[in-house]
Amino acid sequence: MPRPRRLLLSQRRRLFFVMIGVPAAAYVAAVTLWPLTQGLVDSFYDDSLLRPGRDRFTGFDNYVAMVSDPSARRALVNTFAFTFAAVASELLLGFALALLLWRDSAFNRASLSLLLVPVTVTPLAVGLVFRALLAPEFGVIGYWAVQWGISGPRGFFADTATALPTLVGIDIWEWTPLMVLILLAGLKSLPHDVMEAAAIDGAGAAQRLVRIVVPLMVPTISLACLLRAMDAFKLFDSVFIITKGGPNDATNVLMFHAAKLGLEFFDIGAASAVSTVMLLCVGLLSFGFIQLMRRADARALD
Amino acid sequence: MARRIQTAATIAQRGAVVLALICFLTPVLWLVTVAYKPARDVFSFPPTLLFTPTLANFRQIFAIFDVPLWLWNSVLISFGTTAASLLLGVPAGYALARLRAGWATGLAYGFLAVRMVPPVATLIPFYLMMRDIHMLGTVWAVILLDTTANTAFVVWMMYSTFRAVPPEMELAALTDGCTMAGAFFRIALPLAAPGLVSSALFSIMLSWNDFLYPAFLTNADSKPLAVGLLSAYGTKDITWGTMGALAHFSTIPIVLVALALNRYFVQGLTRGLH
Repeated sequence: MPRPRRLLLSQRRRLFFVMIGVPAAAYVAAVTLWPLTQGLVDSFYDDSLLRPGRDRFTGFDNYVAMVSDPSARRALVNTFAFTFAAVASELLLGFALALLLWRDSAFNRASLSLLLVPVTVTPLAVGLVFRALLAPEFGVIGYWAVQWGISGPRGFFADTATALPTLVGIDIWEWTPLMVLILLAGLKSLPHDVMEAAAIDGAGAAQRLVRIVVPLMVPTISLACLLRAMDAFKLFDSVFIITKGGPNDATNVLMFHAAKLGLEFFDIGAASAVSTVMLLCVGLLSFGFIQLMRRADARALD
Repeated sequence: MARRIQTAATIAQRGAVVLALICFLTPVLWLVTVAYKPARDVFSFPPTLLFTPTLANFRQIFAIFDVPLWLWNSVLISFGTTAASLLLGVPAGYALARLRAGWATGLAYGFLAVRMVPPVATLIPFYLMMRDIHMLGTVWAVILLDTTANTAFVVWMMYSTFRAVPPEMELAALTDGCTMAGAFFRIALPLAAPGLVSSALFSIMLSWNDFLYPAFLTNADSKPLAVGLLSAYGTKDITWGTMGALAHFSTIPIVLVALALNRYFVQGLTRGLH
């Protein structure tokens, strides 16, 4: 009697891995890809919840409407400006702080754990706190900013020139610490001789930093920027709590614009068009960072 | 001379760090202290730093809001989401790390890319679906949706963690007759413990702090603290003081959890690099 054919160990292992990997892939695909496809389809329809049952295919009308809507165009520009300004400042500030905390000491470890506080505070509470602190009539910062002429008499958020930069400032406060933590973990995993060479103070330290440390940090820097850029692109909380997109669309960003169209005006078609554009932009952005990371990773494995 | 330069450098370094810490911590300290301020001091003109502490704000929030219910909902959402995300995400991350094929790496980055999906893009169709199956207004709707984004992130974090754990010990155990599940639970998982803690921490934090999804998917009976904080802010007779008092429940617990587990915080994110 022939014995049943037995799979090789490597084949069984492969099968086991596929089996334990499938549930997560299936779940994420079902709850993310399905709505995304749905959204993509909706973006080509005139679909409003206020007029149920009267959906019709309109081709690129929702996209044309978006491009010709000054408020949506403003949101697109604001989103890119916000993402770039926030991520660039957080990277510079975060790298500087990470270098300061590089040496392992009790003081540095304690400081590092305290840095976690802004990252973990509920973003909604962050928005409320800064709204209060920056209020021109009674806020601890806002009041003195008016007195000393740093902000206009009606505060930072009433002025189209300062509203978006102020939101960038709040984002810097909230997320620079995460940047520090990621960059520091990268610095600490650098080879020992590199660390010693770069840690010597004195003349040439800056040059060693740029020539040796920064190139080795490319994967970590890309990862940190990728994570931050993905989140900055989705900015919603502080806009929703503090400015509602105003004044005069100065802080209108794509995520807020899409939420307003979809969840306030129930215009599903238009909202879906905006979120599809968002996904395309952030996809291209992330693809760039991921290529950087994978290339650096591949070099490291050689 | 050299020592003096060294000391001066250390003082400058610590000074800069302390200055940064003051900037990063003051707003949170303000949020905590405002809860103990009498209403007239919050709005005093110009703002003051000295005041007589009061517990009036705490009495008021418990009189107006169902704080224990909100707290319970927050706990349900964050623990439910975290349990589901770890259950789905950890084995998948392990599988992708061990498959050592090009497509597995691609898939791992695909999971990371799920994080860039704008929440509104999933929220709108999901909202309509929950309405159709009568699950709108329950914590389960929030858990189902939060679990997706978190699972994807857990998969990616565990993928990078397991990739840094060499597979030789598992292979040796397998040839000694250990089952594959046994090799995973008894050998690989303990070695990946820091990444596991980090994944759990991230998942708890993100789902505890999330407010966009629950704001639209829950109702008065199922709303978590983050949404409660927002609705409290919307009411007219609410002062900054009561908001600070509410933040003691919505914000302080999660900050303390993160501080307690701080050394695990970024390990899951950066383990796979270098």
